[in-house]
Amino acid sequence: MLIKLTGGKVYDPANGIDGKQQDIYIQDGRIVNKPGLDVQIDQEYNLKGKVVMSGAIDMHTHIGGGKGNIARTLLPEDHRADPVARTAITRSGCGHAMPSTFVTGYRYAEMGYTAGFEPAVLPVNARQAHMEMGDIPILDKGGYVMLGSDDYLLRLLTAKKDQKAVNDYVAWTLNAAKAIGVKVVNAGGINAFKFNQRKLDLDEKNAHYEVTPRQILQTLATAVKELGIPHPLHVHGCNLGVPGNVETTLDTIQGIGGLPMHLTHIQFHSYGTEGDFKFSSGAARIAEAVNKHKNITIDVGQVLFGQTVTASGDNMRQHANHKLANPNKWVCMDIECDAGCGVVPFKYRDQNFVNALQWAIGLETFLLVDDPWRIFLTTDHPNGAPFTSYPHLIRLLMDKSFRNEMLATLHPEAQKMTTLASINREYTLNEIAIMTRAGAAKLIGLEDRGGLGAGNWGDITVYTENADRQLMFEKPDYVFKNGELVVKDGKVVKVTWGTTHIVKPDWDTAIEKDLQKYFDRYLTMKLGNFKISDDEITEDGRGSLTAHPLRNGV
Amino acid sequence: MSALTFTLKNRPDQRVDMSPLVCQKLAGLTPAEIGALELQSGKRKVRVDALFNIAGADAQNMVIKNSFGKLDFIGKALHGGSIAVEGDAGAYLGLGMAGGTIHVSGNAGIFAACEMKEGMITIAGDVEDFLGAALPGNKMGMKGGTVLIKGNAGERVGDHMRRGTILIEGDAGDYCGSRMTAGTIAVMGQTGKYLGYAMRRGTLLLWRAPHLSARFNDCGAHTLAFLPILFASFRQLNSRFADPALAFNRVRRFGGDLSEMGRGEVLVKM
Repeated sequence: MLIKLTGGKVYDPANGIDGKQQDIYIQDGRIVNKPGLDVQIDQEYNLKGKVVMSGAIDMHTHIGGGKGNIARTLLPEDHRADPVARTAITRSGCGHAMPSTFVTGYRYAEMGYTAGFEPAVLPVNARQAHMEMGDIPILDKGGYVMLGSDDYLLRLLTAKKDQKAVNDYVAWTLNAAKAIGVKVVNAGGINAFKFNQRKLDLDEKNAHYEVTPRQILQTLATAVKELGIPHPLHVHGCNLGVPGNVETTLDTIQGIGGLPMHLTHIQFHSYGTEGDFKFSSGAARIAEAVNKHKNITIDVGQVLFGQTVTASGDNMRQHANHKLANPNKWVCMDIECDAGCGVVPFKYRDQNFVNALQWAIGLETFLLVDDPWRIFLTTDHPNGAPFTSYPHLIRLLMDKSFRNEMLATLHPEAQKMTTLASINREYTLNEIAIMTRAGAAKLIGLEDRGGLGAGNWGDITVYTENADRQLMFEKPDYVFKNGELVVKDGKVVKVTWGTTHIVKPDWDTAIEKDLQKYFDRYLTMKLGNFKISDDEITEDGRGSLTAHPLRNGV
Repeated sequence: MSALTFTLKNRPDQRVDMSPLVCQKLAGLTPAEIGALELQSGKRKVRVDALFNIAGADAQNMVIKNSFGKLDFIGKALHGGSIAVEGDAGAYLGLGMAGGTIHVSGNAGIFAACEMKEGMITIAGDVEDFLGAALPGNKMGMKGGTVLIKGNAGERVGDHMRRGTILIEGDAGDYCGSRMTAGTIAVMGQTGKYLGYAMRRGTLLLWRAPHLSARFNDCGAHTLAFLPILFASFRQLNSRFADPALAFNRVRRFGGDLSEMGRGEVLVKM
């Protein structure tokens, strides 16, 4: 099957193409060079005047894992208010802030997204996360495995084991949990919470293990680098949401000593303590530091107004915020003695000073960081807003007058505390394509996604140019997944199943002896059951695994 | 103008979602247009005129004849007008109702007057569990209005109730007034176990001595001046609650639930 996409205006930053009119050919799922004149074209789409990009990639979205189901159980009203009927090809579902798996896949695809990555896969719950993501149609998916508050790692650090022991454990866990990256959530803080610590600064010791978050971050970032894992250590920093945490974040950037590190939902970590309300924007300082330190990448975690639910492994900070729950109900729990979880429903309101300033801080960050290859478009779905608000966010970034009109309606004190109105930058289509496609694929280490060059998989989104960028990005004309047309005019026309992206670093098998003892003595699961086999992902006939190469692999 | 009357032709096997048939949604529609509306029944959609014979034109005065216990969501979000149900009503009668009146000549199912905001619901027969409660998972039940039950009520009357009045001439089941935040529930008959379970505020007014848990404190006997005023407000009702002979102002007061805020009260006629 040879498909020709004719005459579209192509934005393919992976190959340095910025709005050039050119044809794209797809053969058997992959993009190919222009075939010879004698080759017959099986299907042609006339894309004259349309905008062509590769399929978008959400590099941080909570779409799998136990906390999603806790949020669903906690918020039946979220589901009652947003029912989705079945069609001949799609299944029914529901949910605005935390939609059901099937609806998640359809809605992402209908916005032109072809991949999403779950950033908080607890190793002990990884099976459930993969099963849940296995029920998300169309999208490719993958997970970052959560380490840093697990007792085994903290024991290694307390016992002053060498870096190699940690590397082996990290590599072993990545393989066992079938992940593509490593995530740290409030390094050591989830564990410290269980020893009755209610906050943990970067250099504060865990009361039991006497390990500091800084040590954990350095050790894990080193492990990720030495193992050759393409995705840098994915860090949800200390002191999320605490006024003044901008200092912690800057210190974290400094302290990692040049190692690659991704700071996620940085908006929640960019708060100062100035002004009458002792809450101010630290976005400018963060952006300056990010611009200076080329080893740092960030995603924003933009807040957008409305009802949502925050779901995080950071039970320390979620517990601290539970009084803000709206509606007033919340869950904080331990997970299998190995991690934690907090779910707090939230309603961001534009007439609330803090919420309005959070909104502005996120946008300031977007606009003040120069290099779109190192900043990514997220709302930390569903924590800042549901992923369905991305087109609105893109319009805010691309349309200064729209942005300033919205700003003018916010809490007046918040308006005084932000420099947003004076920032003239408007994102270009090419920059949006970098943030949501080429950059994301590069950051995660996806070999053959995120670009439109020959050899890439045919994940392609086609939009109609529209000055209202929200309308443009809400409803793509066509979305192709692996060369198959899955969405037409913003509606799913075919349901396919994506692959699960992983990495497979090597490890010394000798560590399983010690792990075996540890599992038998302390954990709720046997070591043999902890490891997920390939069959579990693929045996339903829909799922598949795609392993990506390591960088200067060990 | 005669009342807009829906007469059920025969009883469908599956439950029917009646929420499209409320006064405000039918105003200005011709009988043919109303007949063409679709109701969800089980997994199918059924035209209104396939289920009902339609007569009359006054959408502010609706009558549902031959009604039975599988007609759910009657009067959902009603905000004005009246609905008379001749027969039984299904679940979620008057869900989120914001005004108007509903009268049921028979019994009603679970979650009647659920999250009701204003208006009047009268049920001549019995009502099942969760009268005036919140939808599962929600934090606020009935927020206003009056519900009058001439028969008995099931369990969990007024669960998460926030405001308004529930009057029960017969008995109430277990967990009456559970998790109440505020409001008034008056029961002339017996009450069941776990009365006022986890209630925070609000008033339970009882004619007969209840089984109270240890989490309620006896606060002694009182003559309360507000009770005659409360009973006077019932005078207009077609109910035993309007009977001055059954009114009283001398009560024994119990405070609880002490495992919660403990500012709820159970007032028992002496």
